[in-house]
Amino acid sequence: MWNTLIIDPMVNTLLWIYDLLWNNFGLAIIVFTVLIRLITLPLTYQQTKSAQKMQELQKSKQWQDIQKKHKGDREKLSQEQMRIYKEMGVSPFGSCLPTVIQFPIIIGLYQAIIASLAVTPTQLFNLSTHIYPFIPAAALIPLDNTFLWMNLSQPERLTIAGIGIPVLAIFVVITTYIQSKLMTPPSQPGEQGAQMTQAMNLYMPFLMGWLAYSFAAGLALYFIVGNLFTIAQYAIMGKVEWRNLLPSALMPKKVSKK
Amino acid sequence: MKFKSPLIFFLLIVSVLILSGCAGGGQASATGWPGLAADESTAYLAHNRHIYAVNLSNGLEKWRFPVEQDNKRSFYATPTFTTDGQLLAGSYENILFSLDPATGVQKWSFAEANDRFIAAPLAIEQGIFAANANNSLYALDLQGTQRWVFPTTGPLWAKPVADPDCNCIYLPSMDHKLYSIDAQTGDTNWLTEDLQGSIVGTPAYDSGLLYIGTFANELIALNASDGRVVWRTPTSDWVWGGPIVQEGVVYFGVLDGTFYALEAATGSVKWQQKFDGAITQSPLVTEDKLYFTTEAGSVYALNLNGTTLWTKNLGFKLYTSPIQAGDLILIAPSGADEYLIAFNMDGAQQWVYLPEAKK
Repeated sequence: MWNTLIIDPMVNTLLWIYDLLWNNFGLAIIVFTVLIRLITLPLTYQQTKSAQKMQELQKSKQWQDIQKKHKGDREKLSQEQMRIYKEMGVSPFGSCLPTVIQFPIIIGLYQAIIASLAVTPTQLFNLSTHIYPFIPAAALIPLDNTFLWMNLSQPERLTIAGIGIPVLAIFVVITTYIQSKLMTPPSQPGEQGAQMTQAMNLYMPFLMGWLAYSFAAGLALYFIVGNLFTIAQYAIMGKVEWRNLLPSALMPKKVSKK
Repeated sequence: MKFKSPLIFFLLIVSVLILSGCAGGGQASATGWPGLAADESTAYLAHNRHIYAVNLSNGLEKWRFPVEQDNKRSFYATPTFTTDGQLLAGSYENILFSLDPATGVQKWSFAEANDRFIAAPLAIEQGIFAANANNSLYALDLQGTQRWVFPTTGPLWAKPVADPDCNCIYLPSMDHKLYSIDAQTGDTNWLTEDLQGSIVGTPAYDSGLLYIGTFANELIALNASDGRVVWRTPTSDWVWGGPIVQEGVVYFGVLDGTFYALEAATGSVKWQQKFDGAITQSPLVTEDKLYFTTEAGSVYALNLNGTTLWTKNLGFKLYTSPIQAGDLILIAPSGADEYLIAFNMDGAQQWVYLPEAKK
């Protein structure tokens, strides 16, 4: 089921793009990632809109008031929150649902890239079971895994003066960090979820960087393209917090009126 | 990145775990299917972390290499004997090892390649010819010293074949070509045109003709003196395992489970039959019978006109060629606790080898 609905169409689309793009697998990964992100754009847009609504709601006076009023009564607080959600037409799961739908697509995208990079007999045999008859597989295999200085099927290192530098992994850390910073709205101290968000903003870039460092370069390329696409997408939607990139010392200070 | 609820945080962690668990393209999780060889008394099995030597008379382990498991090391290439009695084992960590077949002690290693040894090395009097997935054939002397390197334009997954008449070797490549190379100098004698599909099976050589199967759904006969195509016969799917020629007939199977017997001179189909799963290896052909396995877990014994003599389903995936060792047929399953199963020629099971975990 998973293979039929997700992996097979993705693998074949990837191979088809590879065939169109002069058998360049690096370009194929870039185009394929952008294509999938474009297809899931309505979901992302929906998610952003719902998140924004929720944020506005949580800043509203009405919301703040019921927090204070029912501080000691969780059941009552919950009932009141649900009432406000209903009144304002906000779904508490509105921002989660599109994300949940996107997860299988993102995981499938990743698995399709890895499956197509088949570098061992077992992997190639498995790939052969995914290919549709109209894809000219015999002419395409083996896929050319080289892109710029990289072998996309191996962990990437650029050797300079005898030292292997994981350039892609470094880019993954940087772009993941920038993406996290740009997309995080300014939070008030003590705001619900703010601490978790801050921790994740620090933790995620290194986690993604570690994956990029350890696994095939094709995966790292996919991470970078995905990050850049997300930044561009949020920038076009006007949701990017550019000032988050500035060090706190350079941030404009609030002037308190006396 | 914004985490609006613990649900998203949870999904993110799950996805990261899935991604790391499925990263098959990384070096750490390389996979293949077992490689199997035997001499008069011992079977040698390349299976993931070790080379195992198994006593043919009782199925008990004699030794394993390395003694201590190293999770960075894995072996799948079929072990090969040299003319002076060494046992060669190529690994997925890019090293070719020479072992003492009696004890499993390492004699030397060759570590100049930078990709996997998927193919078994060819060992003849002139030396060792080790095909590597990095598009290179390494010619070594019997002490493991590099003599020359021959580059191709595609990965090398198939064992080359030797032709003593021309002192040359024939090298199949995934770049859709077959190369004839001078065994002494490493110079190219000839190379074929683009044969339209990758070649991952060892060619069969007989009476001046080379027989190869390709991913372009073809079995092709080539003139061994100049590489010209003599005939091409279409097949129903990719040809993965190399063909075997005997008494003027070419035997091979393809990935949709069809097994073929072709006239070696003309390529015309003598008989063909569809079986229950993909055939990824060369058949074992004896004087009057042939044996092969399928991915669906079946072992088939046929006589040479295609009549089934016996069949068994072992319930495991079978990708490795069956081999004959004395009066035994050895089968190496994939993904099973049983690493090696021995049958007599009539299909009666003799013993099973299950490796014990070493502390």
